[in-house]
Amino acid sequence: MIESAPSATPQRVTRSRRSARWNAVAGAVAVAVLASLPYLVYANVTGVLVNLFILLSLATLWNLLAGYAGLISVGQQAYIGIGAYAVFVLADNGLSPFLAIPVAALVSGLVAVPASFLLLRLRREYFAIATWVVAEAVLLAVLRSDSLGGGTGATLRGLSDLDPALRQAYTYWAALAVAVATLLGTYLLLRSRVGLDLTAIRDNEIGARSVGVRVALAKGIVYFVAAAGAGAAGGVLIISQLFVQPTSVFSVQWSAYMIFVALIGGLGSIEGPIVGTVIFYMLQQTLADRGAWYLIILGSVAVLMAMWVPRGIWGLISDRFDLRLFPVGYFLHPARGTVKVKS
Amino acid sequence: MTAGPLLELAGVSKRFGSIIVADSLSLVVRGGDAVGMVGPNGAGKTSLFSLISGDLSPNSGEVHFEGRAVTRLDSAQRCRLGIARTYQVPRSFEHMTVFENVLVAAYRGAGLRGHAASSLAAGVLDEADLRKQANSPASRLGLVQRKRLELARALGCKPRLLLLDEVAAGLTEPEVAGLVEVIERIRARGVAVIWVEHVVRALVGMVDRLICLAGGRIIGDGEPLAVLASPAVKDVFLGTSYGEASQT
Repeated sequence: MIESAPSATPQRVTRSRRSARWNAVAGAVAVAVLASLPYLVYANVTGVLVNLFILLSLATLWNLLAGYAGLISVGQQAYIGIGAYAVFVLADNGLSPFLAIPVAALVSGLVAVPASFLLLRLRREYFAIATWVVAEAVLLAVLRSDSLGGGTGATLRGLSDLDPALRQAYTYWAALAVAVATLLGTYLLLRSRVGLDLTAIRDNEIGARSVGVRVALAKGIVYFVAAAGAGAAGGVLIISQLFVQPTSVFSVQWSAYMIFVALIGGLGSIEGPIVGTVIFYMLQQTLADRGAWYLIILGSVAVLMAMWVPRGIWGLISDRFDLRLFPVGYFLHPARGTVKVKS
Repeated sequence: MTAGPLLELAGVSKRFGSIIVADSLSLVVRGGDAVGMVGPNGAGKTSLFSLISGDLSPNSGEVHFEGRAVTRLDSAQRCRLGIARTYQVPRSFEHMTVFENVLVAAYRGAGLRGHAASSLAAGVLDEADLRKQANSPASRLGLVQRKRLELARALGCKPRLLLLDEVAAGLTEPEVAGLVEVIERIRARGVAVIWVEHVVRALVGMVDRLICLAGGRIIGDGEPLAVLASPAVKDVFLGTSYGEASQT
């Protein structure tokens, strides 16, 4: 009985105003250059970059949680730890630690599913506190488990017969692969229809629900993806340190770093955490030998940014130059040669 | 035409502490109806909309849509069934473009995919006269355009029942006239409309039934001019005898 809305002139929809081909080429070149670094620079440089890639992955996922789904988690360290211990257990059973990383991601993701049923019922601040409680609960379970080394921690096996230079190169590539997979996965997720849901939820959750968006499902997907990514990052962490210490891998400090990076870079965009990670590492490198001042300056920067630049450095850049490195939007091209008549 | 009513509320009540916003409300709307709703501030008009759309769930009573009990469904589920609403204070997706705002509705509310979804979204933008702003962020829109976006987004859900919450508030006479024209066209397609508005003139010209709410109850329901003329409605809606005197 009901006709559809008056059909419009044929239209064309693309994912960005300009062609994004050059962005893709630039991205591929950047990854290729980074991938060739172990041949070009000393291991101490790639060692720093391993930590940078871990933090980049974590901050990207935290931005997905907080910047899009509105989930302020301070408990992602639960999944970092689960990922690290999963790699430890798998390597103990003879699997190559590098091949164990994707399995660890899956394990963390699967643990997150039942946890999300409980956590996603909670509103903002209760959710935040509960995520931390979950992380502490996982820590306590690990501390009591003798097979996981209890409080002393666990040493990763399976890499000792590898030449150290080769091991460092492999570790670097694994960290790069996890970071690229995280960014690419986030990009593809945000480009999908679920991504449009998430962007709507980011801007107005009640509004999103009122146009039929399954808010709980979208949040569940994000929580799963963020946990799986943190698991992969935890896997890289134990490989790079060859050792995992429970109170350090389950430390809330991880969440503090993720939040710092996402905040200074800018929430609600893929580019923000990339910019944030670079700034964080520049600060860390310049302030490394200043002891306590390092943390004081880091904290002050975070407070000042939150007060005066709430959308972060990338927010400033993208507003000023209308710049998007990752085209996730929809661009409606004007209908050719037709002038719309009606009111 | 479906045999039963499109929307049926049976004894719906909602309290916030001691404040009663819906006091055992019963109401039937048929497919294609155009219903206006008036009432003083705090009469419970927006709350009633929220109870129909699923933003609020009632303390007691049942809501049926097309014969199906929807009382326990949330607003997203009800939207996908065919109930769409606008909000008095626009809930635009600020950092998304106008086109993307409507596209979400076409994907999720109307359940369309690919080209069908973008066609619907583009068509709705034409209808709401927002095609020129299609690619600008919603945050750059002025008040009139924001109200139109609210309407466009609801239309993007392809509703069979459209709830309009003060879409004309704050608009000038010619702007209201333009909006009424758009709503007339929506109605002509068989979409039932319930329209809350303080601009009574805009309502009376368009609707064929007027409901007056006060204190969470229906105190008038029927032919618009008759409802406005009834003593109970005059008393509450225009105020006390003092209010009536000052109207002249």
